[in-house]
Amino acid sequence: MIEPKRVLRALAEHWALLEPLCEHFDQGTLSLNELRLQLAAHQVDSTPQDITSVLDSWIRLDILVPVAKSPNRFELNAQIHDFLAYLRHEHRLGLCLEIEAYLRHLERLAGYIQDAFDIRDGHDLARQLRLLDMRVRDVLKKLANDEQALVAVAERAKTSDRQIPLRQRYAEVLATWDEYVEPMIQLVNADGAFEQGVRKVEIVLLRMLSEQQRLGHLVDDDMLLRTHARILEMQTSAQMTLRHARELLLPLREEARRHNAVTRGAALALAAIRRKGLDAVPQASMPMFTRPQSTFLGSASQVEAYVYALARFEPKPAKFPKAHKVHRGETPKAPRTVKEMLERCSDALPMPDLMTWLLAQEPDGGTDELLYWFSRLSREKRFVRERLERRDYHTQEHLVSLRSFALLSHCEDATQTSASPLHAS
Amino acid sequence: MHLDLSELSQLAPIFRELFKGYHVSRRDPELYAQLSNFQDQYRTLFKALGFELVCDTRGFYYFVPDTATAQVNKTAQRLALFTFIIVEHLADQGRDPIAVLDGGSLGRDELPALLEKYRDLFVQAEVTTHEELEEKIMRRMTQLGFASEEPGIYRFLPPMHRFLDVCLSVQQDRDLAASLHSILPLPTPVLVDDDIDDEAALARAIADEQQEMDA
Repeated sequence: MIEPKRVLRALAEHWALLEPLCEHFDQGTLSLNELRLQLAAHQVDSTPQDITSVLDSWIRLDILVPVAKSPNRFELNAQIHDFLAYLRHEHRLGLCLEIEAYLRHLERLAGYIQDAFDIRDGHDLARQLRLLDMRVRDVLKKLANDEQALVAVAERAKTSDRQIPLRQRYAEVLATWDEYVEPMIQLVNADGAFEQGVRKVEIVLLRMLSEQQRLGHLVDDDMLLRTHARILEMQTSAQMTLRHARELLLPLREEARRHNAVTRGAALALAAIRRKGLDAVPQASMPMFTRPQSTFLGSASQVEAYVYALARFEPKPAKFPKAHKVHRGETPKAPRTVKEMLERCSDALPMPDLMTWLLAQEPDGGTDELLYWFSRLSREKRFVRERLERRDYHTQEHLVSLRSFALLSHCEDATQTSASPLHAS
Repeated sequence: MHLDLSELSQLAPIFRELFKGYHVSRRDPELYAQLSNFQDQYRTLFKALGFELVCDTRGFYYFVPDTATAQVNKTAQRLALFTFIIVEHLADQGRDPIAVLDGGSLGRDELPALLEKYRDLFVQAEVTTHEELEEKIMRRMTQLGFASEEPGIYRFLPPMHRFLDVCLSVQQDRDLAASLHSILPLPTPVLVDDDIDDEAALARAIADEQQEMDA
């Protein structure tokens, strides 16, 4: 056994050295050299021998322990580390699974208590009740620790550098939410493990209280009542911790989510504007405000010029073609008839790409006209069509992206053994 | 409601500013304090005059134009575009866009690089030179109360939330997202299969032509 007084005296005596070291040990282990440097930095007037003797005493008292398989590296004894963390209010967030495991154990203990009572084994009953009580205290301790750790998580997120991206700044918050708060919500739910475990233990304890009235006392009623009260305290404490966690972390999580939404929204809007112009952003969502110049009258000379222009307003003359004048230059082509186009299309079968053929036929054709012919010819029943991959086509005015068709006549199709499916839309 | 005009000591400047499209925020402490102290009175008075005063809980006031007559103007589009660009630019640099646009600042010296990087987008808003960027966007922002000019920087004010809201609503606009995720640079030509009316009309037209040709 380690002499408690000596350990406590060493901790008290060397607190000024141990406290700064705790932060380093929170991050990982330290080599003997690093330890010596750290101690020398905090105790400037000490000789190397003094430092060696301090380190020796820590190792002797099991305050410092060598890292497994690395005898030159040291860490704080886990028990001492926890104790120092408790003193320093430095809490590490535990796992929700730990609480769940404790609760499962509580349920099992309730079963053992029931068994001990059934066989009227007062000694075992008292032992199991003590175990239950200690386990509940463990859960309470853990919840208190976790609550402090959650406060620290929120504080770190709030006080970290505003210039670093929010995603990084709130990474710990988001991870804590996913790994602790969300499972805790499930755990403390009405049908979650927490409530079920508590209910089971409560039923056993209450039944035992009433049975003891009838069958005689195996253990003191006070003990049962105390355990019952502690169970209820644990339940309230879990709900409070969860509520506190939500209050602390939810706003930060929402802020991070909102940040993501804003960034994504801006990227989406820019992509839409790149493709379709400024009007692509939904008008309904745009802010509306009076234009600053709407009440601006302008200088006297501007008003004068405006009135002058109004007074001398003349509409532009409209020019109409005259029947007696001969039209110079190329005569406009008459539009092709459906019959004509169908015949030309039939003659060109099999056609590997309808749109390419149309562009070759009508190099000067308008986009709307070409698209009309594309639509009309691709639906013609006398042709069999086969959908092609999407690609871009340059009309005279536009770039059109569509999935064109290869056209075949019915008889060609019958002979062809193509594996590609036909799309008859 | 009983209105005591003597209480509304800043009525004239408040109305003048709001009517111009200005957003009153804490940067104008006197006007802002008046509006927040007598919010209901101002709102009632302006409503009676046909103006809707919006009191945004994020700390600013503005007039919303009559929706029946108002149209989204070029300025709004330009400023929205600028906001999108700033958000993306800052996010690209690993900076926090919300921290900058909600009370933070942007150096004037960052503007030329921004213009260069997003030239294709600025062109759509008819902004091609640094002078035009200052004139058509930054000056408008300060005129409307979205930003304030300080030596060497532009500081963004709470009304910028109106544009951040646009980002959020765009993000929630599934139609827009869906149209972007398709690879079409143009809206699809009229070949829609589920449009029964068009389909039927075309079938009728084809049948008519067929009859005509057979005849």
